[in-house]
Amino acid sequence: MMHEFFSNLESGLSKAIGAGEASPRKIYARELARLGTRLYGGNGGVAWCGITAPFDLLNAMGVTSCFVEFVGAMLASTGVVGSFIEETDHMGYSSDACSYHRAVMGASRKGMVPEPAFLVGTTNPCSGGLAVIENLARRFGKRQYVLHIPQDQSGGNVRFLAEQLRDLSAFVAAHTGAPLDPDALRRAVSNTNEARALMAEAYEFAKAVPSPVATKDLANYGIVMALFLGTDAAVDIARAFRDEFAKRVADTRSGVPNEKVRLLWIQNRIQFKNGIDDILAREYDASVVIDELNDITWDAIDPDEPFEGIARRSISIPFNGSIANRVAHLKKLAREYRVHGAVNPCNWGCRQGTGARGLIEEGLKEIGVPVLNLEVDCIDSRKFTEGQFRTRIEAFMEMLAGRPSPWS
Amino acid sequence: MNEKRRIGYTCAYTPLALIHAAGFSPYRILPDVDCADRAGQVLHDNLCPHVKRVLDRAMAGSVPELAGAVFMNSCDAMRRLADAWAAVRRDVPAALVDLPVVVNDRTVSFFRDELERCAGILQSWGGVIMSDASIAEGVGTHNRIAERLERLRALAREGRLPGGFPALQEAYNLASTAPPEEAIARLDHIESGALAAPSGDGVPVFVFGNVLPEPEAFTLFEDAGARVVGEDLCTGSRLFARIDAAGPDPLRAIASSLLGRTACARTFDAEHPGGLAETVVTRAREFGARAVIAYTAKFCDPYIARMPAVRDALRTEGIPFLALEGDCTLRSIGQHRTRLEAFIEMMR
Repeated sequence: MMHEFFSNLESGLSKAIGAGEASPRKIYARELARLGTRLYGGNGGVAWCGITAPFDLLNAMGVTSCFVEFVGAMLASTGVVGSFIEETDHMGYSSDACSYHRAVMGASRKGMVPEPAFLVGTTNPCSGGLAVIENLARRFGKRQYVLHIPQDQSGGNVRFLAEQLRDLSAFVAAHTGAPLDPDALRRAVSNTNEARALMAEAYEFAKAVPSPVATKDLANYGIVMALFLGTDAAVDIARAFRDEFAKRVADTRSGVPNEKVRLLWIQNRIQFKNGIDDILAREYDASVVIDELNDITWDAIDPDEPFEGIARRSISIPFNGSIANRVAHLKKLAREYRVHGAVNPCNWGCRQGTGARGLIEEGLKEIGVPVLNLEVDCIDSRKFTEGQFRTRIEAFMEMLAGRPSPWS
Repeated sequence: MNEKRRIGYTCAYTPLALIHAAGFSPYRILPDVDCADRAGQVLHDNLCPHVKRVLDRAMAGSVPELAGAVFMNSCDAMRRLADAWAAVRRDVPAALVDLPVVVNDRTVSFFRDELERCAGILQSWGGVIMSDASIAEGVGTHNRIAERLERLRALAREGRLPGGFPALQEAYNLASTAPPEEAIARLDHIESGALAAPSGDGVPVFVFGNVLPEPEAFTLFEDAGARVVGEDLCTGSRLFARIDAAGPDPLRAIASSLLGRTACARTFDAEHPGGLAETVVTRAREFGARAVIAYTAKFCDPYIARMPAVRDALRTEGIPFLALEGDCTLRSIGQHRTRLEAFIEMMR
């Protein structure tokens, strides 16, 4: 069923793109469909991973790999997540757990998670995600490798993670039977660096006032692009966005016509269909111009020291380390993108992300950027109450309208 | 009265021996003091109540004077507590010590280096310059406390400790918070009152989970007809496991000992996923328990995620299981009375 879904999606998107209806978002979605087709293709060789796994290394080793949260997001976006979350109730899973993780565990019970060849857990970003990897390893009776991502790059931390990455490549080789090909890794690093540079250019265009970015354009972009790093597809997608934004800026075409309000989206998007984007655009001429994870926080990787470069990247993800670092990053984004306000969807069940929301709110307040904290489950649409959200958003937008821009 | 300055801590993985070695007295900030609920100003409501109550104490000023606070990166909630502490108690410096989730040569070495960093921080807070000898002395102090608690634990299991497991929990709390020499003297005094003959009856149960510092909780178990025969809690035996400091590098030995003790759900064996379930079964059998009670603080992801496997393993072994969640208050513990009574009644 899932293979058919992704296969049909891919062919539909390919047809549209071939017929001259290409857009960066379609190219990006087609690559996601291709990934889904491979994951659910029944050909084995799949690795379920944590969010900060080194996907370029895994891609270089020919492994179809994906973070487990993808399953929850996919089920939410297709509107069928409810029964999978319910399934975890029967397992004795507390409803206080993150719905991304409950969804994937429920899906695994219902046979909707392909059996992996192995798993790669990561301590960053969260304890819950790591626990899911362990649970899936137990369920499928497969081996897992756990990457401990240190909190910062001090002392011997980069070396420690780089050594783990070398161990991981041997672990993967033991499963695939094919040792890491240094040339393949070099090509992957080259692709990663090229995609990185293109993404950075696209983000620079996104900072323009008015911004070429509409709320939906870059939803989930930064976090999902990690899956394609090391591949030609990553370069193609990144180039498509860069070119599109360059064109829009040249044409002085903004993502939202008559842009009035620019917003920063903290953490992840709400993954099921909801009316927030439309309310923002149609009623307030507002657009989410920047998401927290749509940023390049790492240097280009030295092809002669790929493991060290990948290690630095993994450590640099804004969700890692102290909240002080995260707040500093959010402030940087708020300044660079000249946002008027920020939206923090406090995903119920997410301890690492929403845990310190008070500190985030306080930090952004210091530079005059108010935060709208939404109480929401980003996966479970059954808990979504659009009316209440509308009221909160209306009040927030009215408040923004009544105060001077922090950048005027 | 010992005049050592105190270092606050909150996690069973804290290197207490190093705190002793630095000339400080470890002080566990237990979530057992009533104070205004203010943590929600800083942390989300969905965060572990243990962490929030510790923060409530910090914000209310209901912790004694501290020279610093050492937090372990044991889970998301603890990491956020370290962040929040830094924001609300700028007068008390805090350190976050990273903690591996799996144990192998590489991670033990990494943790060893983290302990070395921690030692440097303790020194910067006014602690003594540490040497191998002072570290060995710190380990010795920790082990003297641990050995006494081990003996009290054995007495409690045999039914020879006056007051039983509630008294044992009081002893743990004392050892967690009092200066070491005072703790040792008082533990010796408790031991000297051991009963000659066992007392108590009830259904033997094994209790595991995380934060349960309230002696009244154990009284509740006993009132419901249970006889606690063993526990694995971070406010109990897990905190006071002995440290084997043998070897040329005492810091590595401490690292290895801390990571090698009975694990919290957040630490696991990558080669044996979900091994907590088998550990619980094994320990219940070792203690001769007829039933298992899990007590965990709400919103604890490491336990939430592993509990279904524990439940399955106990069901397979035919061992009755009751999972309780609480918010670290007596109120929430009391609300479980009916469930506890029904659970124990079922086995009579």
